[in-house]
Amino acid sequence: MFGKKRVAIVGAGLTLFRRRLKETGKELSYEASKMALDAAGMELGDMQSVVMGTAPDAFDGVHMKGEYLADGAGAYRKPYTRVFVGGGTGVFTPLAGWWHVASGQFDSCLVVAEEKMSSCYPHPQFAFTTIFDPILERPLGMNLIWIFALEMHRYMHKHGIKKEDIARVSVKNKGNALDHPCAQLGAKITVEDVLNSEIMAWPVQRLDVSPTSDGASALVLVSEDVAKEVTDNPVWIDGAGWCIDSTHWTNRDLYYPDYVECAARMAYKMAGIKNPPKEIDVAEPYDPFDYKELHHMEGLLLCKKGEAAKLTAEGVTQRDGDLPINPSGGLLGVGNPIAAAGLMKVCEIFWQLRGEAGKRQIPGDPRTGLAQAWGDLMQYGSVIVLRR
Amino acid sequence: MSLDKITNPMHVRHWLGDMEADYIYTLGVAGERFFKEIKENGKIMGAKCPRCNIIYVPPRMYCEKCFAKLEGWVDVGTRGVVHTFTVAKIDVDGKKLQKPEIYALIKFEGACGGLIHKIGETTPEKVKIGMKVDAVFKPSFERKASINDIKHFKPAE
Repeated sequence: MFGKKRVAIVGAGLTLFRRRLKETGKELSYEASKMALDAAGMELGDMQSVVMGTAPDAFDGVHMKGEYLADGAGAYRKPYTRVFVGGGTGVFTPLAGWWHVASGQFDSCLVVAEEKMSSCYPHPQFAFTTIFDPILERPLGMNLIWIFALEMHRYMHKHGIKKEDIARVSVKNKGNALDHPCAQLGAKITVEDVLNSEIMAWPVQRLDVSPTSDGASALVLVSEDVAKEVTDNPVWIDGAGWCIDSTHWTNRDLYYPDYVECAARMAYKMAGIKNPPKEIDVAEPYDPFDYKELHHMEGLLLCKKGEAAKLTAEGVTQRDGDLPINPSGGLLGVGNPIAAAGLMKVCEIFWQLRGEAGKRQIPGDPRTGLAQAWGDLMQYGSVIVLRR
Repeated sequence: MSLDKITNPMHVRHWLGDMEADYIYTLGVAGERFFKEIKENGKIMGAKCPRCNIIYVPPRMYCEKCFAKLEGWVDVGTRGVVHTFTVAKIDVDGKKLQKPEIYALIKFEGACGGLIHKIGETTPEKVKIGMKVDAVFKPSFERKASINDIKHFKPAE
């Protein structure tokens, strides 16, 4: 067991995810934080520390946006840190909150994630074009969708996976999101709809991709002693893992996310998990693109390499299947305000393990769940394992 | 509060601002030598780590695995292999491109890494993962020590 103290999640909060929300980034952070505190039956004064996760400054359009957002996240005159690991931020933020408490330094930590992508006008795609190497890649006119198209194509080629096998993920997640009160893109669609949607950069089509969104999410983390005082129903952070691969993404094969496996193994070791598919009851792998859910299921060792599409086709990953994957509706359905979307996944596992997921509740008696996010230039993995 | 019913963001109460900033990036120690070889000699170079026995393309000043300083440079040739590719149909504004563009990750034999570049002088249907491609350089007087000194890669004869 890493860390000195066991850490519990005792409250979660989530705003609507939408293409454009009226609230500022600070106001969104406040809404999610207040909801998480209310759910925990705690007040801002009970929070000894705050960790904020938010992605590139260029989305909100404020340099040093960690400082800009601080008051919305309840950080006024508190120990405060902003963390940022690209798309991996949403799951990394509660990991940073975890070590605040596990170290014994604090008994409580408010964990907040926010993204207001609509500020970037006309489209946040323009902020994404500056994430590439300024000398080797940007002069070619790189575009975010293209590099994922390169990765998706490599994955399909390596395992002989067809577009329709991948489209099923989009159909499932958008369908699941119909039951999520915060969702932006819940929809009943078919595999044909995905295959007939606009080709952006082959093999990526419009319905393979999650939207850009505004939104925030939050968690209240406390030490074991405090957890006993405030709830009978804590959810424990039992596994934490994170890892970064080479910044030179051209040096990786792309068909398999080694860095996700590395992060997962770290989290499983800490949680004492030997057989992930048997011991994990529900998982929320990162799904900004439909193929990424499959890619990440394999990286998380939830199935063999190249097997995720088959499990999806067999219905194993449906809410009532043997291994429910993204019961929330994921990024494809609920929306993708980058950091807030990753933390939304941790909120979902928290609610699933507490039996509070409403219409999205998976059957049975889930006791162990996992959330994972991925980011930077397809190189970063963050994994959290929760237990009730 | 959702503003989804407003499709033109200019109709939302707002303040229009920008974060304009321009940058001048140095090519770096390894980058300068890499682009000089492209510009002056039409060569694609890699840097070899003697300890890890890896040839990095593009070359670097140090090995990221063992932190050795890399001083041995190797010519990796101008012929590569398409590791994966995409056919871009729309531009960054979401507008349809008049002519689809083919972008590929090109790897070089015996080297770790590769280059992202355009594939030209062919059509999307003819491009396959695993096919050999040759770098097509701009004429030397047009080269500026940039990645665009390579015009594109074309299918090898």
